[in-house]
Amino acid sequence: MANLFTSALSGLNASQLGIATTEHNIANASTPGFSRQQILPAARLSDQTGSGFIGQGVDVQGVTRIYDQYLSAQVLQEQSQATYLTTYYAELKQIDNLVADPAAGASPAIQSFFDAMSAVSNNPESVPARQTMLGNAQFAVNRFQAIDQRMTDIANGLSGQITSSVNAINSYAQQIAALNGNIKRAMATIPVQQPNDLLDQRNQLLTKLNQEIKTTMLQQSDGTVSIFVGNGQTLVQDLQAMQLQAVQSSSDPQKLDIAYLRNGQTIAIQQSSIQGGNLGAYLTFRDQSLEPTRNALGRVALGLANSINQQNQLGQDLKGALGGNLFTVAVPSVIKNTANVGAGVPTVTIADVSKLTTSDYRLTYDSATLKYTLLRLSDNTQTAGSPYTAAALLAAQPDGMLITAPAAPSNGDSFLIRPTANGARDIALATNDPAKIAAAAPIRASAPTNSPFNTGTAKISSGMVNSPPPAPLNPAHLTTNLNLQQPVTIQFDTPLTVPATFTVTGTGVPSSPLAGVVYTDGADITYNGWTVQITGAPAAGDIFTIGSNTNAVGDNRNILLMSSMQTSNLLGGDSTTAAGVGTTSFQGAYGQLVGDVGAKTSELSVTSLAQTNMAAQTVAAQQAVSGVNLDEEAANLMRYQKTYQAAAKAMQIANTLFDEVLAIGR
Amino acid sequence: MRISTGAIYDANVAALGQQQATLLKTQQQVATGRRIQTASDDPVAAARAISVNQADAMNAQYGANRTALRHTLSLAESNLQSVTSLLQDVQVAAVNAGNGALSTIDRHTMATELSGKLQELIGLANSTDGVGNYLFSGFQSHTTPFADVSGTITYNGDDGQRLMQANASRQIASSDSGADVFMRVKNGNGTFVTQPGVRVAAPVGANIGTGIISPGIVTDPAALVTGNSYTISFSVSAVTGATSYTVTGAPTALAPAMAGVAYVSGQAISFKGIQFDIQGAPADGDIFTVTPSTNESIFKTVSDLIAALNDPVPTAANGGTTGLTNSLSRGLKNLDNALNNVLSIRSSLGLRLQEVDALQTAGDDLSLQFKETLSQLQDVDPYKAYSDLAQQNATLQASLKSFAAVSSLSLFTYI
Repeated sequence: MANLFTSALSGLNASQLGIATTEHNIANASTPGFSRQQILPAARLSDQTGSGFIGQGVDVQGVTRIYDQYLSAQVLQEQSQATYLTTYYAELKQIDNLVADPAAGASPAIQSFFDAMSAVSNNPESVPARQTMLGNAQFAVNRFQAIDQRMTDIANGLSGQITSSVNAINSYAQQIAALNGNIKRAMATIPVQQPNDLLDQRNQLLTKLNQEIKTTMLQQSDGTVSIFVGNGQTLVQDLQAMQLQAVQSSSDPQKLDIAYLRNGQTIAIQQSSIQGGNLGAYLTFRDQSLEPTRNALGRVALGLANSINQQNQLGQDLKGALGGNLFTVAVPSVIKNTANVGAGVPTVTIADVSKLTTSDYRLTYDSATLKYTLLRLSDNTQTAGSPYTAAALLAAQPDGMLITAPAAPSNGDSFLIRPTANGARDIALATNDPAKIAAAAPIRASAPTNSPFNTGTAKISSGMVNSPPPAPLNPAHLTTNLNLQQPVTIQFDTPLTVPATFTVTGTGVPSSPLAGVVYTDGADITYNGWTVQITGAPAAGDIFTIGSNTNAVGDNRNILLMSSMQTSNLLGGDSTTAAGVGTTSFQGAYGQLVGDVGAKTSELSVTSLAQTNMAAQTVAAQQAVSGVNLDEEAANLMRYQKTYQAAAKAMQIANTLFDEVLAIGR
Repeated sequence: MRISTGAIYDANVAALGQQQATLLKTQQQVATGRRIQTASDDPVAAARAISVNQADAMNAQYGANRTALRHTLSLAESNLQSVTSLLQDVQVAAVNAGNGALSTIDRHTMATELSGKLQELIGLANSTDGVGNYLFSGFQSHTTPFADVSGTITYNGDDGQRLMQANASRQIASSDSGADVFMRVKNGNGTFVTQPGVRVAAPVGANIGTGIISPGIVTDPAALVTGNSYTISFSVSAVTGATSYTVTGAPTALAPAMAGVAYVSGQAISFKGIQFDIQGAPADGDIFTVTPSTNESIFKTVSDLIAALNDPVPTAANGGTTGLTNSLSRGLKNLDNALNNVLSIRSSLGLRLQEVDALQTAGDDLSLQFKETLSQLQDVDPYKAYSDLAQQNATLQASLKSFAAVSSLSLFTYI
């Protein structure tokens, strides 16, 4: 009789546990990371009697969570990658919005600058036209600076995001280590039972950790989990959590690097090993998108400022003075590694703007060979001719840079060279005097314009200034020859021989007067840094003069050349192209930048969406196993209710039976 | 297959979010009319749009350049038109001055009239573009090009010719230097100048005979001796009264030598590819010269004419009006040359204007093409966008409805 009661009681108990577990499931239906739980009922060992094995009821052996560790590991991975791509996409979208906007991009500003320049070439004597050109130059400068400033803001924001991501990682690591302890203790106490909710909590923290950074995990037999980041640096082991740290980069103090903190000691780790999650996205975005874009923009600004300056220096301004700089050009940034032993810093200037790339460079000194290695960081390749001796480094002008080696270098000293990084930030107008626009050429060539005239039909071209100028240079104006504007006379000899000859007289002309120079129709005649051509049939005694272009307010020769720079290929050359010759124009280079950003953003928009969907499917698959289905729970609830009712009924019947037995004795 | 209740909500929320994002993007495209909102929408088209935009803007700028070019060219052309009619007036006056019936006073009156024309001519040569820039001073547009320095008009400008960018590859000259227009005009017939020389025999000075020399022509360019001058000296035999002449060349002597050739009035005299005639009766010792043409300014031509008209009364001793006739003949020839020079520059201006017009038409066509390309690259296809919008709208509405329907299904509502 007693086993009637125990069986019914065990049924009641089991049903109660079932209802409790179902209620727990219902209550946690929307708890992130929760895995549904089930009771594990098992029939008690039956009594062996003569009538056979009589059932003794039910035992609940435990509560288990429905969990698939392979699916969960997959979720972690997919989500880490999805977060990485989505965050990268979101960050890059900011630049994408910035560069191609017809109103906000640099392209319209460059265009209006050249339009205004064209107006000056139509009216070189007009001060309002010149003022407009300067105004538009300022507009272009402002645009470059504004875009650069926006990128600086994004970079500054990134530093904050990197720091908070690192803090989050450290916090998750500590919480996981703490949970490791709890789980280890719980499992040590009752080895056969799993602390389901603790495991779920830890799992949820692992998900969050993986959204910040990609990790690898190792499940230990004592229930703890070990976590590794980067190249196998331990983040969590047993009950101990290590820390990551955002530190100033040794190669570039403006940048944050991720370091590993172990026993109070900061250990540098390879930055490229930090992958996945938010942190990986921030670092990749900064190093592979933001900085290259800033460099590319800098190169356009630098190229524009440098080329316009060079042309302006070849001309003559409205007041008749030799042209100066219209723009202030950025200086390449050279950053000494904080670990350097030597105190010297190389000086870097720009030798040929057409050869500049958008990359940064690392210069490293090797005292064994006394040579410098110059590494182009964008493709991780040494520049042509590297490693160099100090003299070769200067002479080679690698990628358009003139690098003077540092004084007293020590072995392993390294320097980060960023030739174009500040190009857009530091571009500025060098003058606000509209007269300083050198629209005219500094020289003019002419035949006599008053009696006595030349009698022949020969004509002289108006002349152009050679670049680069031949020595000796003008100490007051280093971009022109000293004798550029000295009057030079070309007089055809009398009697005129066949072929005709002429005598060149003037300061700077070698062995002046230089007699008997043979005349060739249309051939270049070059002295003192200018070139003219004489065409036609000269007569004996005909004179041509080349000299200072005084009062030439209506001359537009130089600014026509300057205007033509808009479509000239002045950027993007390499070691195989000639000096000053590139492969793309300013707008072309800017278009390249926009195309690069656009293509990367477009790619990320597709891949991030695909990865997000992939992660969602993995989560759905995992949830299909572990997630709570309320209808199922409702059914379970009814089921346990029914079994409870049934067990209670059984108890009642047992009781009635017992009463019957007692009534017999009455 | 089991589905967790949470997953139903998550999937629906994610799907709604994506659909709303797509709808918003289409809506933005419709609202702005632009297919490319950011570079990532179509990186290739965005990069191309930048270069097409540049080409379009440059084309527009070339259009502005052409307008400026047309303005300057027209200004120079209308100016030179005035110069042309002025020179024609001077020509008429010079022809009239040859009328033998005119008195000295009449000629002086004409001289005064021509002096006025000369001042007018200087004024035209010194004209500005309306904002103070001289048209004919080369690069020195703020320098007055022509100035009267003690009776001689000198040019203070230079040979500069300003070019303007008329399209991507063509630069067209927008100005002509004053030296080319007014100063460098070949005198004589363009190859040589014939004129009375200076007598060596007594009375020293102007010819005293009535010989009038024609401007002459080149009969054989190959035979010309470049840079050589010739002197034709007349002698009248005291015995027979026959007139003969001798031609000497310098620096190259004439070969075969021409000495003592009998003179017939009006008969062609030719040597070394040169041919001219002398009419009238040259006196013994009269000299004519043939020199290579040089450049002579239009101003000098006119002022020489004025000087000839202002000459004192011709007397029988100095050959009567012969000196005047010779001067007028030379002056007329030079005026012709001046007129031709101005006309050839005007025709060059006309050709340039014509080219500007042709380039303008091409530029307009190009502009249309650029606009069309840009539109293809950037603009949204409205029909497609509206249909997309309607479709996405319908999908979103269906999703919302079905979500509501699905989420209201629960076993709990039945127990």
